[in-house]
Amino acid sequence: MRIGAGVDVGSTQTKAVLLADNAKIEVVARALIDTGANVRMAAQDAFEKCCQVAGVTPGDVGFVVGTGYGRYKISFGQAQLTEISCHARGAHFLCPGTRTVIDMGGQDAKAISVGSSGEVLDFVMNDKCAAGTGRFLSNAADVMGITLDEVGPLSLKATRPVKIATVCTVFVESDILSYLAQGKRAEDILGGVHLAIAKRTVSLARRVTIEPEISMTGGVARNPGMVYALEQVLGRSLLISPDAHFMGAVGAAIFALERIDQSFESTVLRGEHAASSGN
Amino acid sequence: MPLVAGIDCGTGFTKALLASQTAPGKPLTVLGKGRVRSSVNVDQAATGALEEAMKAAGVDRRDITYIAATGFGRYGLSFRDIAITEITTAARGAFFLRQRPGPVLDVGSQCTRAIGVTDRGKVNTFKSNDKCAAGSGMFIARAAKYLNIALESVGELSLHAQHPQPISSICAVLAESEIINHVSAGVSVEDILRGIHESLAERAGAMLKRVGLGNDVMFIGGVARQQGMAEALRHKLGVQVTVPEDCDFVCALGAAVLGLQRSAVKN
Repeated sequence: MRIGAGVDVGSTQTKAVLLADNAKIEVVARALIDTGANVRMAAQDAFEKCCQVAGVTPGDVGFVVGTGYGRYKISFGQAQLTEISCHARGAHFLCPGTRTVIDMGGQDAKAISVGSSGEVLDFVMNDKCAAGTGRFLSNAADVMGITLDEVGPLSLKATRPVKIATVCTVFVESDILSYLAQGKRAEDILGGVHLAIAKRTVSLARRVTIEPEISMTGGVARNPGMVYALEQVLGRSLLISPDAHFMGAVGAAIFALERIDQSFESTVLRGEHAASSGN
Repeated sequence: MPLVAGIDCGTGFTKALLASQTAPGKPLTVLGKGRVRSSVNVDQAATGALEEAMKAAGVDRRDITYIAATGFGRYGLSFRDIAITEITTAARGAFFLRQRPGPVLDVGSQCTRAIGVTDRGKVNTFKSNDKCAAGSGMFIARAAKYLNIALESVGELSLHAQHPQPISSICAVLAESEIINHVSAGVSVEDILRGIHESLAERAGAMLKRVGLGNDVMFIGGVARQQGMAEALRHKLGVQVTVPEDCDFVCALGAAVLGLQRSAVKN
């Protein structure tokens, strides 16, 4: 049984996944930890936790691919790939037919156009603004005095979503406070906030062509309010894998498995070639 | 004798200024000032600032003949006689102080504005950050929070930078990671803060150039109290940057000046 590992060191959380190729390829272990200040340690911890869950030793893992913003800080990875390639590849694997990926993570929002074999055709990302990221939502949660896990479900209960004119994280903070002062319901405020972010994200995604099927990946995919708002704005449903949060790591692990195959094949072929030329 | 209050309901602080004029044509005299942190209840913050100003001026609420509100929260102020945009009041306040035209840069808690002022103290043209908080005081306030230093000491610390470290993020929220990276790379707090001031100065400079830079910029708003920021502007723009005393009361002053004119017309 060959095992490949993907470690996705995100700005906020580090995700690691082990993928085993045993008749069929499947995810056998996952680990999720906060990245914190020590990126190297976070990657190591997530990887070891994964090995423990799967009951294997790090030595059993044939190849490790690192991805995410902290990928170059992973000391034990054999290769580094961008999270864009990894999300595309992961979504192609777990949500077959995916042609567009909307990835909303801790500090970035991306839209990726994916080819028929999981390759990246084009992508756009928010490099200047926190709108549409997990940071935006955790800020909103802080202002409202609730937890990040509560914002999505609450927003689904909105009956008259408020208007949010700008999506700047700082400005929305003031907007939320003044709506609260006006006595607006938390549900309606959050409904408006999610809708504003969904509109912004979809307009970002329109800069690459949005083609069905559309997958959502990244930590924000766990927020049902954002999924609903995006589906409203897009006018169609999204493919969301239970492993959406781990998609970057899953993609990295697929690349890792491929690398094992390549090195396996090249060793075998080279060996055969040497043997045949010897005759 | 008209006694006018100019109240600037900003996003960060609410400033009140009391002014009077002994006779028409005579110069306006500032009697007192007050500043409190803004809250979602505009009336409450404005009352607090006004009471502080009344105490300083030694006047009673009944003595006030006219109240001109300005700033982000001006329409939330229930006891106003008039609401005037902060762009108009910034121009008028700055003109009152220097008695000549020229550009004004106003950097507040959430807003950054460059205003071209005519030779009569009116707004010629302006540019403002209406979509996001990049370049505003909030950027600095958040950075100070991450660095765990008091906002009041930011300006002074920044002046002592040796090797300013530029910040490439323009988003006040995303800059956090960059600042943390600088800290973990061992960059001094002074160099980080000056880098932030220089990044903000760069953005402000671009706005100023669009309204006409001239050779003497009047720098107002709460952020103008940070010497490091004024220094960064001088360095980036290569022009004279003047920070008036009570630089964060300029809009309140402009509101009072315009309020006096208005109350004279009314009577």
